[in-house]
Amino acid sequence: MSMVTITNLVKRYGSLVALDHLNLEIEEGEIYGLLGPNGSGKTTAINCMLAILKYDKGSIRIMDKEMKPDCYEVKRNIGVVMQNVAVFEQMSVWENIDYFCGLYIRDKKRRQELVEEAIQFVGLEDFRKMRPKKLSGGLLRRLNIACGIAHKPKLIIMDEPTVAVDPQSRNKILEGILELNRQGTTIIYTSHYMEEVEQICTRIAIMDHGQVLATGTKEELKSMIKTGETITIEAVALSEEQLAQMGELPHVFQVTYEEQVLKLRLSGAKHNLVRILHYLEEKDIAFGRVFSELPTLNDVFLEITGKELRD
Amino acid sequence: MLHLIKYQFLQTVREWSVMFWALGFPVILGSLFYMSFGTSIGNGNFGEDMEVIRTAIVEEDKQTDDKEVFLSFLEELDGDVLETEVMEEEEALLALKADEVEGIFYAGKEPGLTVAKSDLQQSILKALLDTYKKNTEMIKAVGTAHPEAIGEAVKALEEWRETTEELSVGGRTLNPNISYFFALIAYTALSGVYLGIKACCESQANLSALGARRCVTPTHKLKLILGNFFVLFTIQFINVTALTGIVQFVFQIDLGGNAGGILFINLFGSMIGVSLGTLVGSISRFSLGMKMGFGVLFTLFPGFLAGLMFGNMKNLIEQYCPVINRINPAAVLSDSYYCMAVYNDTERMARNLLILAVMCAVCVAASFIVVRRERYDSI
Repeated sequence: MSMVTITNLVKRYGSLVALDHLNLEIEEGEIYGLLGPNGSGKTTAINCMLAILKYDKGSIRIMDKEMKPDCYEVKRNIGVVMQNVAVFEQMSVWENIDYFCGLYIRDKKRRQELVEEAIQFVGLEDFRKMRPKKLSGGLLRRLNIACGIAHKPKLIIMDEPTVAVDPQSRNKILEGILELNRQGTTIIYTSHYMEEVEQICTRIAIMDHGQVLATGTKEELKSMIKTGETITIEAVALSEEQLAQMGELPHVFQVTYEEQVLKLRLSGAKHNLVRILHYLEEKDIAFGRVFSELPTLNDVFLEITGKELRD
Repeated sequence: MLHLIKYQFLQTVREWSVMFWALGFPVILGSLFYMSFGTSIGNGNFGEDMEVIRTAIVEEDKQTDDKEVFLSFLEELDGDVLETEVMEEEEALLALKADEVEGIFYAGKEPGLTVAKSDLQQSILKALLDTYKKNTEMIKAVGTAHPEAIGEAVKALEEWRETTEELSVGGRTLNPNISYFFALIAYTALSGVYLGIKACCESQANLSALGARRCVTPTHKLKLILGNFFVLFTIQFINVTALTGIVQFVFQIDLGGNAGGILFINLFGSMIGVSLGTLVGSISRFSLGMKMGFGVLFTLFPGFLAGLMFGNMKNLIEQYCPVINRINPAAVLSDSYYCMAVYNDTERMARNLLILAVMCAVCVAASFIVVRRERYDSI
């Protein structure tokens, strides 16, 4: 069953096109990643989905209903974790979660149970009575998440929830997202950290300039591109002739050499590394460390757009 | 709804900076007023008759008509404004030096005054002498130009004095400094602007992340706004009432004794403050800091025009541009307190409260039109 369907969504800010005929289909039970650099339209798409931002064209259906500001029943089943921490400085951790949960759940007893569960879920048991300004950045992000998910929604939209978070908190957050998904929650996760998206998302849409460039599982996305392997070698003073010869080797389709680091992109094949090392030995070229990497989402982005994900 | 009210109340009263501007600052300002007017407050009966001013009179030897007229002028004031004693010049100067009298009037061909300090009492003595001189010169001028009209001129002067004497219908004698405290209470009421601005910014998706988070919940926006308004209005009413309590019971300033009336005006004052804040908070995309700056402007400037910094300002405006006093909420509020405490003029007070009610309605309607917007052009 489709949880979210976005069809031909267009959003303009004056002459700037923020969303350019965006199409998305998100199934129930997925962790759907929206991956793209800053300014690619991820947050705009989410704000349109939440019916707080006007758009010029297109349609958004959530849980099989046209999403409008007064779709209170749909909203009741959505949890949102905003990119910016949105909590009250004057209220404690417990009070903040209770307040936001109370905007969805009226029954006080049930709410108290949910608040307690949310506190345990994000690991803030020892900070119940603390005010947000006394929490570290990571704990604050966890509180932000707890406020968005305490009411146990069917769909959770997380807009870059791990920005400026320490590795420990980041792992805790990512583990939490996987656990929520295991419990049956559909999650839309935006990020410009490809590692995170790769780690948790079941399906990914790569966005740039308000458009979806490619969608699929991470394996599907990687199989779409030419790069099957990237070999990086530290080598001193390579000549133009040697670089040209390496470009002629089987499966090599791109050679770059900058600051004494040689980077070769090769299509998927066995024994690529052996062949390259053999060539270096044969030509008596001195080399240092050697790395061989399988393609990443950054490679996918690079090949599709011609630029790095974090440019 | 109770859930919304509870948490809006908690987060507002715990916001110390906002509460300071809404209540702490006016209390400090009131304390400064109280200390500044300490001399005129005297034994704490501020608003009652002022103490008479002890004055020496030194008569020059030569008998003249001018001397007699001046002495009779002083005699009229004796016991009411002045406590006079005829002395020899040497004795009077010693008394002045010893602070036994505040000034020495010289009764002779040219009336004169000697003072040793520059305080309120000395200013009053000088004002009395100036008034006397001005009036006698005027009568002399009329007598020279139109001797037949001298009787009418004297009569006119007496009538002027009768009509300008400050007497309250309610039987109270007014200390002019009380207007500062009325302006202060009006200013405090307007300080609800800060509460309104902050709450409004926190409920709009295009103004804050908190606003965005609230907007995506299934709670109806009108419910959120009404809950906020109710809480802020209640807090502001408590603030204004606390200040009037401090003024009345701590500073011992008589606000007229009509507690119900004062509370009623406080009610309208709190409403205009919060609604003005709601309007400022919702009307454009300025930052919170900038809006708070507007809040300062919208409280201090009307307060200034209502006589918060310069007591006579409201009277000057009434003289030259009365319409400002009709539309300035601080002046309207201050005037309402005046009507209640001094004039006992319920008709004028009702008119003022009606003006405030209309202003509230306009502010709330305008801000609701903006805030109720459910989708924003940009966030």
